[in-house]
Amino acid sequence: MTPKRILVVDDAATVRMYHRSILEGAGFEVSEAINGIEALEKTLAAPAPFDLYLVDINMPKQDGYGFLRDLRSQDIDQAPAVMISTEAQSQDRKRAWEAGANFYLTKPIKPDVLLTHCRLLLGQGGTA
Amino acid sequence: MAIVKRKQTQAVDTDERSRPRDMDGLIGEMADSNPVARRWAARDLAVFPDAAAALVARLGKEADATVREAILISLTVIGNRAAVDGLVECLRSEDAALRNEAIEAMKNLPDAVAPIMAGLLADPDHDVRIFAVNILESLRHPDVEQWLIEVISEDEHINVCATAVDLLGEVGTTAAEHALEALKARFPNEPYILFSADLALKRIRED
Amino acid sequence: MAEITISSEDFLKFREFFYRKTGIQFEDSKRYFVDKRLVDRIEATGYANFRSYFTFMRFQVSGEEIQTLTNLMTVNETYFFREEYQFKCLVDSLLPEVVKTKAPGSTIRIWSIPSSSGEEAYSIALYLTEYWPDIERWDVELISSDIDTSILKKARQGLYSARSVQHLPSKLLQRHFKRLPGDEYQISDDFRQAVEFTRVNLAEIADTRAYRGFDIIFCRNLLIYFDDLSRRQAAEVFFDALNPGGFICLGHSESMSRITSVFKVRKFPDAIVYQKPEAR
Repeated sequence: MTPKRILVVDDAATVRMYHRSILEGAGFEVSEAINGIEALEKTLAAPAPFDLYLVDINMPKQDGYGFLRDLRSQDIDQAPAVMISTEAQSQDRKRAWEAGANFYLTKPIKPDVLLTHCRLLLGQGGTA
Repeated sequence: MAIVKRKQTQAVDTDERSRPRDMDGLIGEMADSNPVARRWAARDLAVFPDAAAALVARLGKEADATVREAILISLTVIGNRAAVDGLVECLRSEDAALRNEAIEAMKNLPDAVAPIMAGLLADPDHDVRIFAVNILESLRHPDVEQWLIEVISEDEHINVCATAVDLLGEVGTTAAEHALEALKARFPNEPYILFSADLALKRIRED
Repeated sequence: MAEITISSEDFLKFREFFYRKTGIQFEDSKRYFVDKRLVDRIEATGYANFRSYFTFMRFQVSGEEIQTLTNLMTVNETYFFREEYQFKCLVDSLLPEVVKTKAPGSTIRIWSIPSSSGEEAYSIALYLTEYWPDIERWDVELISSDIDTSILKKARQGLYSARSVQHLPSKLLQRHFKRLPGDEYQISDDFRQAVEFTRVNLAEIADTRAYRGFDIIFCRNLLIYFDDLSRRQAAEVFFDALNPGGFICLGHSESMSRITSVFKVRKFPDAIVYQKPEAR
């Protein structure tokens, strides 16, 4: 079975590396982007659509909300998105939902939390 | 029909500018209903250092991305204390795009930002402290590593520390070793902190 | 003198930095390529090791060293039909979209900058002539600019090496070039007349003020060498130069993600290009 493909969108290299190590360790294929614009380019250029998006909010040039809104307006196969942020206020969750996210997690994320949410969204069950 | 050549590129005599191009006229133009006019006004204001406050004020209300871009570029070109003070206030905005734009602009203003950096790193709002560390990423200043070491040694908020460790992975030297080890001891149950601190230490020690 | 080496961690650190700045991601297989150039620069700048060189480069106010390094790390060779997929996109996708909203009898305007020695502009002219059926129905104005007057002179001459034309289909070469002694190729006068070469300094507002009303801009492998602020200012110039709905193509390894969000990302079968939003 081909591995599920996840796009990790975050401007911090270490955060991308951390999420990559967790996700690859669990058998996923990981691609990266540093902001919303690059994420959209990679999405459009990909040979097949991604299965899941992991999207940071605060990024230069285009933030996570902007990317999700653009993504959801594209005429392509859509996929679930987990929005990630350092903030924990309720209005951010609402905003994330409105932009088209399925889950909202606050950093730093523990490996089992990340995997549980990803697997749930990919229809693989919730156990880590 | 084919590839043709004109004699001269048409010079533009009139463009989308209506009011006088002095500072007050341009500031007035920033409230025009036409975004093209606002954009030109924002660009032309780049030569008026005293316009910084007006540019920042407009930035907070401006919905058009192209006008915002022009305002940000002008603020970067002006780059004085008033510009930076205004950008700092943008860090506190609810608007994620505005916050990130302000961070980016400040990254390009090392001279104006350096004197206030210590204050930003001590701001009561942990998000502002995170953004301050983000700004350090492109700040060309000799104290950058020392500031980062202070953050990971003293800041209580995990995400402020996490942002600082990420940058130490790139700019850290042996001076940061002790503080990185201490950080790991402070957050022993946080996999991300252990991961990023170990990465920074590995890079420092490989030399 | 101790031999300068680049450790794995050095390479990773540099790779991350370079990717953040330029969008170019070096595969592990590019180790040798990257290491060699880094060592060259470390020696040229007189630093003892990667660490001290990296600190210098990263914190240098002028940003000159990053530019020098970027120059070394990227392929600068210009030749006919370089990154041909964009020309294909031009005739198959971009122009059809442009003409949909263009008044009959109006001119399609294309700007190619930097011109360098003219290969790109002439490539566009050749492509339009050979591969765009509608070239018979529309007037196209082709302007190509550079900051360097001596290279513009070369461009107007239209004389090229065998290497420069090697990717052209031989039919095209025979049809539009004359082979000269010394294995050089002279492009026909028709094509030399077809392109207007102009001197422009992108950073000079006085130079760019008149550049308006373009439908397509090619700016390939130039902005990558600019610093952050200059890139954004250049992007503004291009935004102003384009008609609403107009397109701009960057180089293969370049992206607006490192520059500005004012353009819309558009995907076509052959390429991803950027579009100025349509008039509201």
